[in-house]
Amino acid sequence: MATYPRRRRKQFFVRRKVCRFCVDPKLAIDFRDTNTLRQFVTERGKIIPRRISGNCARHQRSLTRAIKQARLLALMPYVPAPPPP
Amino acid sequence: MRRYETVWVVNGDLPDEEVKSTIDKFTGIIASQGGTLINLEEWGRKKLAYKIGNTLWGYYLIADFAGQPDTVKELERNYRIDDRIIRYLTFKKADQVKMEAVEAEIARAREAREAKEAKAAEAAAAAAAAVKAAAAEEAPAEAAPEVSAPPEEPPAETAAPESESAPAEPAEKEE
Repeated sequence: MATYPRRRRKQFFVRRKVCRFCVDPKLAIDFRDTNTLRQFVTERGKIIPRRISGNCARHQRSLTRAIKQARLLALMPYVPAPPPP
Repeated sequence: MRRYETVWVVNGDLPDEEVKSTIDKFTGIIASQGGTLINLEEWGRKKLAYKIGNTLWGYYLIADFAGQPDTVKELERNYRIDDRIIRYLTFKKADQVKMEAVEAEIARAREAREAKEAKAAEAAAAAAAAVKAAAAEEAPAEAAPEVSAPPEEPPAETAAPESESAPAEPAEKEE
């Protein structure tokens, strides 16, 4: 009986995600700062989940709130406009 | 007193006078309901992220004020009545605010506004001076090639070489 070395699990390089708002206290979450908010939505305008963005719970909450406020005031799109044909 | 911030978006297709009249109307409402206006910010006409009604433009106005919950109630009631307002949102920024703090904020806001205005005026003056200087610089160069014999500049020999190099520069700028 041949013994095979136990197959090693494929090694992933997991980059530790950190909450950008915790790292940089100067980076404020505000509905009027759409340039920052835009970094946390996809191209389709969806809010990027915490699992992907790595934000902490508290900041993710205020971020989603700010994004929704900006959407209501038409500062950010709910659904981006289709590109001109 | 609580500290609030209210944003209202006026239909951007309306003329400026209409927009300005909403400022008087809503700051008046704040004042009449026992509120104190701290700062009024104008973002101006901005393109909306999506069409509201039939317009793609909105004029954004933000008022920072101290007031009672009833102030907000009355303000929002009027927002809803007014057809010129396409969007509004009010935020509570603090539950408690002292009158002295409010006054200090008002003074600070006024100072900031004045500083901004002074800066803008300075920049405008500088821009005007730059334009003037540029115009003064260009004037003799342009006068030389167009008017073959300028009345103020008798030496035509010196003007001629300039006329060759001078038109090349403005042409480059235009592109």
